[in-house]
Amino acid sequence: MAEVHVIGQIMGASGFSESSLFCKWGIHTGAAWKLLSGVREGQTQVDTPQIGEMAYWSHPIDLHFATKGLQGWPRLHFQVWSQDSFGRCQLAGYGFCHVPSSPGTHQLACPTWRPLGSWREQLARAFVGGGPQLLHGDTIYSGADRYRLHTAAGGTVHLEISLLLRHFDRYGVEC
Amino acid sequence: MTTASPSVFLLMVNGQVESAQFPEYDDLYCKYCFVYGQDWAPTAGLEEGISQITSKSQDVRQALVWNFPIDVTFKSTNPYGWPQIVLSVYGPDVFGNDVVRGYGAVHVPFSPGRHKRTIPMFVPESTSKLQKFTSWFMGRRPEYTDPKVVAQGEGREVQPG
Repeated sequence: MAEVHVIGQIMGASGFSESSLFCKWGIHTGAAWKLLSGVREGQTQVDTPQIGEMAYWSHPIDLHFATKGLQGWPRLHFQVWSQDSFGRCQLAGYGFCHVPSSPGTHQLACPTWRPLGSWREQLARAFVGGGPQLLHGDTIYSGADRYRLHTAAGGTVHLEISLLLRHFDRYGVEC
Repeated sequence: MTTASPSVFLLMVNGQVESAQFPEYDDLYCKYCFVYGQDWAPTAGLEEGISQITSKSQDVRQALVWNFPIDVTFKSTNPYGWPQIVLSVYGPDVFGNDVVRGYGAVHVPFSPGRHKRTIPMFVPESTSKLQKFTSWFMGRRPEYTDPKVVAQGEGREVQPG
């Protein structure tokens, strides 16, 4: 079996209109991939930037996969939420990006989007908060049924991911 | 069919905690330690250290320089649990008590060579306003009992309300 190590950090997020952000992240792989070590999903702490506008999480990611096929190469997906002083949480953006496929260290900037609702829902979101959310999380990283959505842009999630690949040459894959 | 015996590899880390930029605070010292997985063990060098206290330079740079050496070698059989260096910075508050000014963590670089890393620092904040005032007044901010928590992903979340 070929092995992939995904090691890095979710550094933070920038460009969101709200401060006090946290991120729920997960990794989705195809059926042939097996997670040998590490946690497949997690949630960062809430960060309120004191200097500058970028929220920093420095959330570590350390995953070890074994696979027999290239199909379903891992995809990291994110939900960025903001928390106000009353402890209520509001969705700030959804985003996903593929894990890079060449070994080495990569800086990734993942754009995010959030669903807009009707004009009533947008008005309510501005005054009361809340707003529409996805029912099924897999729409974040899959293209099916996206045509139904009307969305607006959120900010960007910044990651530094390093990749170590092992035994891919046994399967005829050069990396 | 032959099975490969587990291969041991060494990771040698040489470097320094060079300097910091904290616009609001002065007279700071830092502590570093390494957090690593179960398959890793340090074989040489020190895996923890406390630096000197440094003050901001008088010139326009306002630099806080430690130039504090890091010298450690790890051995392992598995890249999982790649070491992270955890830095905690402390300084005095208005009353002279030692208070945490920032925590940060970063993975040791993966490729051989010379690397420079600038890491953002954060402090835990209490959620109640009364506690924020009392902690400012008493000089005791919320602190992690074990700074190694900063290097872990689990347990960072807050229950959404």
